[in-house]
Amino acid sequence: MSGGLPSSAALVAAASGLSASPTGSTVIGMAVPGVPYNTLVVACGVAAVGCAAGVVGSLALLRKRPLVGDAAAHATLAGVAGAFLLTGRRDLASLLTGALVAALVGLGALVLVRRVTRTRDDAATAIVIGGGFGLGIALVSGITARGIPGGGGLEHFLLGHAAALTADDARLLMAVSATAITLVVLALKEFTLVAFDASFAAATGWPIVLLDQALVTLVAVMVVVGLPAAGAVLVTALIVIPPVAARQWTERVGTLVALAGGVGATAAVAGVVVTSARPGLPTGPVIVLAAACFCLVSVVASPRRGWLVRTLRAAAERRAWAAGLLLDACVRAAERGDGTFTVTDVTDGRTARAAWRMLEHEGLVERLHEPTAEARVPRDAWRLSVRGLDRARQRQRRAAEWVAAFDRAPAAAKERFSLDLPACAITTDAGDTRAT
Amino acid sequence: MTDSATPSATGDRPVPLVEFHDVTVAYGRRPVLWNVDLVIDAPCLFGIIGPNGAGKSTLLKAALGLVPLVGGTVRFAGVPLARARHTIGYVPQRESVDWDFPVSAFDVVLMGTYGRLGWFRRPGPAERASARDSLARVGLADVADRQIGRLSGGQQQRVFLARALAQEAAIYLLDEPMAGVDARSQEQIFDVLASLRASGRLVVVVHHDLRTAAEWFDRVALIDMRLVAAGPTATVLTPDNLRRTYSGQVELLREVGLAVAERGRTS
Amino acid sequence: MMAGTAGGMHLWAIATASVVAAACALVGTLLVVRRQSLLGDAIGHAVLPGIALAVLAGARPGGVAVFGAAVACALVTVGLVQVLRAVAGLAEDAGAGVVFTSLFAAGVVIVTLGASRIDLDASCVLYGILEMVPFDTVPVGGVEVPRGFVSSAAVLAALVAVAVPTWKLQVFSAFDPDGARAAGVPVAAVTTGLLAATAVATVAGFEVVGAVLVVALLVVPAAAAELLVHRLHRVALLAVAFAVGGAIVGYLLAYRWNTSAGGVIAVVLVAQYVVAALLAPEDGCVAQVAGRVRFAWRVAREDRLAAVWRAMEQRGTPAGPRSALEHLAGWWLRVRGRIVGAASLSAAGRREAEMVVRSHRLWEAWLGRHADLPLDHLHPPAEWVEHHLGEAARRRIEAELEHGRGDPHGREIPPEA
Repeated sequence: MSGGLPSSAALVAAASGLSASPTGSTVIGMAVPGVPYNTLVVACGVAAVGCAAGVVGSLALLRKRPLVGDAAAHATLAGVAGAFLLTGRRDLASLLTGALVAALVGLGALVLVRRVTRTRDDAATAIVIGGGFGLGIALVSGITARGIPGGGGLEHFLLGHAAALTADDARLLMAVSATAITLVVLALKEFTLVAFDASFAAATGWPIVLLDQALVTLVAVMVVVGLPAAGAVLVTALIVIPPVAARQWTERVGTLVALAGGVGATAAVAGVVVTSARPGLPTGPVIVLAAACFCLVSVVASPRRGWLVRTLRAAAERRAWAAGLLLDACVRAAERGDGTFTVTDVTDGRTARAAWRMLEHEGLVERLHEPTAEARVPRDAWRLSVRGLDRARQRQRRAAEWVAAFDRAPAAAKERFSLDLPACAITTDAGDTRAT
Repeated sequence: MTDSATPSATGDRPVPLVEFHDVTVAYGRRPVLWNVDLVIDAPCLFGIIGPNGAGKSTLLKAALGLVPLVGGTVRFAGVPLARARHTIGYVPQRESVDWDFPVSAFDVVLMGTYGRLGWFRRPGPAERASARDSLARVGLADVADRQIGRLSGGQQQRVFLARALAQEAAIYLLDEPMAGVDARSQEQIFDVLASLRASGRLVVVVHHDLRTAAEWFDRVALIDMRLVAAGPTATVLTPDNLRRTYSGQVELLREVGLAVAERGRTS
Repeated sequence: MMAGTAGGMHLWAIATASVVAAACALVGTLLVVRRQSLLGDAIGHAVLPGIALAVLAGARPGGVAVFGAAVACALVTVGLVQVLRAVAGLAEDAGAGVVFTSLFAAGVVIVTLGASRIDLDASCVLYGILEMVPFDTVPVGGVEVPRGFVSSAAVLAALVAVAVPTWKLQVFSAFDPDGARAAGVPVAAVTTGLLAATAVATVAGFEVVGAVLVVALLVVPAAAAELLVHRLHRVALLAVAFAVGGAIVGYLLAYRWNTSAGGVIAVVLVAQYVVAALLAPEDGCVAQVAGRVRFAWRVAREDRLAAVWRAMEQRGTPAGPRSALEHLAGWWLRVRGRIVGAASLSAAGRREAEMVVRSHRLWEAWLGRHADLPLDHLHPPAEWVEHHLGEAARRRIEAELEHGRGDPHGREIPPEA
């Protein structure tokens, strides 16, 4: 776990450096030729949000509640419209405050429905989405229909519109994101403990309800600051997708959190860059598609859990298994005759041919003679090599050991015995690590 | 370590290590454990035995505050749970865990030290050393870096035991540590428990196998929704007591429990 | 070509909304009982790229090709979630979260980029276009009928036609998939059929409330109905009624307030749910509170009566009330004549008190025999169990006790009335 910590600490340092506006302005102020200052600041702000959403989302994923922010996200729309109606202001801070209130009300409603009715969680989520988003849509389109000045921009909160952000807005997003990341890094130990084994955490006195509430609140906050870039409909994706992508690459919590932050930030920047080149395209969907690309690549090609590697590994295991069986068949064939056999004696069908090639390749079988014109033995006579005999004996010994262990085991334990006979695979290092 | 961890005894009579006083536990509104009165006064290997659904695990969970008590009190060495947490090591049932979680065996054991670390402090060299020792004591030093799901069932259970060892507690509570574990791991786990007893710790084990219970435990409690009997193994595991535990005499307790849960609807 | 007068247009819009809501509620009932409401949400989002591509390719909105594309998208979504679970070990909710947001994002990008060429834009995806429905008509039997109405009526008819004969299979598979499979029900086909039905209903719902709020049409009426009735076909019928009512009221309110009909319809549906949750006769919040109050009142009355009875038994003065409620109960029992004077009971009061004391002492006796508890520990559990034992339970305990009439303290246990 701690392996990844330095990197997440570095993330915090980076994010807080960005957010400290007086000094940070020098960082942001570094002019990149050809890119307007505002775009640069906005990109930094959205990147910080993407990073923090990934970081917080990792915890939600580990706690098995990846969609906890979805209902809150949809409810934010009503909060944005409500704040606009109540205060008449449309600066980002007021609108997002309204959104946060609505998100927390939505989460509260979810808890209430779960507590006092028979309605199950899934339907409760749908009810909060329907109520919150329906109210939001009704308010926003009512405001638009009445032509209230300044109300036109509210639609940007549906699908995200990063271009509408000002430099000050971006600094606000950075500050909130940096705070969220700092909190996660500070309490990473606690969040991990609760997510891994809640009953142990509770038994050792950790307040799991408090930690869960903190996590859900962090998710709600990230949903809210994600609104301007990703929009109410898609901001959930910022919480869900980067951690899923990151999970494919690591077995360490710290690394997972840091990678998810990186994926989120990169996707967010991609969204800003693409939509600044193509005005009219909402930012949210582009960010989500960028994150989805990361996810797709990760699921297919990550080195340990990826589909590609798993498929290849499964095929290799099947081949090794078949080769093992073929080796046994060779031993039997050799014992039947004079210690030699032909390929057709022992193989049958395509799998066995592939297995035969494997035996040949590993030098476990050898041709009796190099075929010559005057040889009296059949052209296709083979025998087990010294290595092959050795390997075959090893296999038999392991199989016998396994059977003996099975016989010794108490009846209750027998059904738990691994049936894949790992010891019998042909290659010595192919033993499954799950075997006891 | 034990001395500092054990809350001070008061009076001349030794304060019992664990004391259940009239403990009644309900899931939701349905009572599943009625008025358990149980005192464990000296370090030993203590077994909690009973049929499925008898409330054995519930008793441990109630002691640890994981399920609320509807009646009664639990005290550890004379003090309530809140002040005794750092003296208790706990091994929960393995089912409660996600095996695909991105942590290594060593990380899991390290979690045992979190309790004494407190908020926001990270494990340092002392905690890491303690975790390494604990892992070595259960014979798993060589798989420390392996992801938890890639260990066998018996190894996982030993990792959990090691985590409890890393808690450096005076009282150990184990929930079915032998369930679904191969014979070799069972022996290893038992050896560790015996060594804990030898060093003056109390080890309370929820266990369902009567045959091994007689040979492993110094003292046992028989439980079936209520305490049937408790005391030295030889005097408690009598045919009569076992009949009273395993013959389902408490159908009535179940029914009344359901009636209690239904209250407010039918009344 | 417009469908008649302004009033006529509203009627068509209301009719379309009602038909669509009914179709969604019918399908949604099955999703809710299967605990797969969020599948409705996921499909609502995920069909967008299918619809957009079909329309881009020249299909007419509301036409068969669009429905086909949507069904394909729904199946792809579910398939991808399964693939993610198998390949990446991803739980279904996380997988769905990845897949439906990605597909919806793709859909929005397609719609936005193709906006110049097709009749679909981002705002219609989010708000629905119910207000526009009456403007696009086709002649049916000489009458100009909105195209949207025709296609959603066809959807409803098709769903009903499929649902009625296969309802039992759906119920069986929803309730006990393994049992159904064992009994030879083609569970996979049934589930796929439900998915397809959800996709079709979703496309119809799209026009009325937009992609996001389809989940409200699908789930909320069924969730409300489920609180009120318990048989599945009744849940479905009531859900349909709620949905139609919500669509009509929502449309009218939206018209009055000059805002999006889809949004208001969703809000009205949720309001219906809230009312149902408050007022449901058995599990409603009001009923629950009332039940608790009634129980507390009964306990207070019984405690009071038992206190007086025990005082009479021991010829002493009854213990004082332990709570304000018990105090009130004492006053009430005096008013009703159950308690007479300082410490005596009427015949009826006596009978009631005896049953409480009987429950109490039977329980003490039983617990004393079955749990090795010291005498002084027997009273507290009996003190609350006494209010829960019925006549049958008391008779059973008495039969199990076999012997004697006394409780562990040596006092007599009153006989059953």
